[in-house]
Amino acid sequence: VNAARRLSCDEVRDLAPAYVLGALERDEEAAVRDHLADCPEAHAEVTELGAVVPYLADAVEQIEPSPSLRDRIMAAAAADPARAASAAPTPTAARTEAEPEAPPAVPQSMPIDRRRARRAWADASPATWLLRIAAVLVIGVLGAWNVLLQGQVSTLAEFRSAVATVADAAAQPGAVSAALAGSGPQSPRGVAAVRADGALIVAVSGLTATAGAEVYEAWLIAPGGTPVPVGSFTVGREGTGVLRATAAGAAPGATLALTREPAPGATKPTLPIVSSGVVRATT
Amino acid sequence: MTEQPADESGITGATLAGDPAVDVRLLSAVAAGELGALEALYDRYRTMAYSIAYRITADATAAEDVVQDAFLGVWRNAARYAEGRGSVKTWLLSIVHHRAVDAVRRRRPTVELPERDDVPPAGLTLPDVWAEVAGRIDADAVRRALLTLPVSQREALELAYYGGLTQLEIADRTRAPLGTVKSRMRLGLLSLRRVLADETIVEPAGGRRA
Repeated sequence: VNAARRLSCDEVRDLAPAYVLGALERDEEAAVRDHLADCPEAHAEVTELGAVVPYLADAVEQIEPSPSLRDRIMAAAAADPARAASAAPTPTAARTEAEPEAPPAVPQSMPIDRRRARRAWADASPATWLLRIAAVLVIGVLGAWNVLLQGQVSTLAEFRSAVATVADAAAQPGAVSAALAGSGPQSPRGVAAVRADGALIVAVSGLTATAGAEVYEAWLIAPGGTPVPVGSFTVGREGTGVLRATAAGAAPGATLALTREPAPGATKPTLPIVSSGVVRATT
Repeated sequence: MTEQPADESGITGATLAGDPAVDVRLLSAVAAGELGALEALYDRYRTMAYSIAYRITADATAAEDVVQDAFLGVWRNAARYAEGRGSVKTWLLSIVHHRAVDAVRRRRPTVELPERDDVPPAGLTLPDVWAEVAGRIDADAVRRALLTLPVSQREALELAYYGGLTQLEIADRTRAPLGTVKSRMRLGLLSLRRVLADETIVEPAGGRRA
């Protein structure tokens, strides 16, 4: 690591002001850092000089970045290969090679991370359209974080995991999937997939919390058919819901719909439909 | 501690910044792979991060790239933040600063920088020397304190921190010997510290006062 020469303590003291201000060449900076890491001396002068440096950051005129920067960052993080294992849904199916095609607002000279992220997002293979919705969904529930820091972490983690499961299931042969949406911009949105073996998983965010015996019920409606209840779930104040059930016969063209019911066991949906989507083949 | 940038509207991302304990919790959630926590951190610090990046790069696109790189760095390396060696805010802004300086240096044809991908996650290996002097200082106090410095000292600090210049480049730019530049930076930092410490409700945050 220490490719450069080793510095003496006196040299470090001499370089300290520039070091704390970031005004060294990067190799000199690394040499100082290496020295500080091993040096038995405390080099209190470095701390002393560096103490006010953060305040220089505070002194600059405050300017807001463009709103699109958040989306770019979150999309890049969601699709970041370096964190794929633990991050939002990026199953291997999404990792196909595709010609990168520049989305708007991303500049030409692009570091490698963004290029990779862009590839994952620009990939338009049939199995992955759902993924984009899924990633957006996961990002969408995040507002909750600022207020729900402690209590709902596990619920949100469960939701995230369910979205990842949906994305994975949708990528399997013979699976069908649906993107659920309501009528307004703030309306509940979700993703659902049914594997070839009939296993259904639904993940929805933006729902109003259920109270008492209330549940959300999922319905499958074949074209021209009557709604068939599939299963129900409750929702806490974080607004996310997950349903795992069996739904044989969820063929492309059917509609998957959610209603809010006063109690479990409804045989006919209580209108309105809060969120729905058409089932389609994904592979 | 509260960060309150001098902003007339009072409504900026930075106004959300605050409780350092919340920041630490958010950062551990980021380390665990929670995108939501990353977004929450972004909302707390986007204004400060972008402002410092913009001040250094003087270019909106470059500043946004810097902020994006910095937050992706946080996303990947959150586990490397060491609690007790400075606040999350300071750590995060040091990453932004480091990358912004790299960005402006890369623009200069004379300066050799390693290829972007060879650079270790910049800033994440930065010195942990940015332990704050004390709890609470507002932006105006810092600006006032800067104005109390002799012009040559202030210029040296500004060229270094906001300009991204190396000490050699500052010496060149100001036609001063390198040794003089070093002492100007040293004296400037020490005076700034003294002035700010006097302005501050002194609560040395684990820090030593000189």
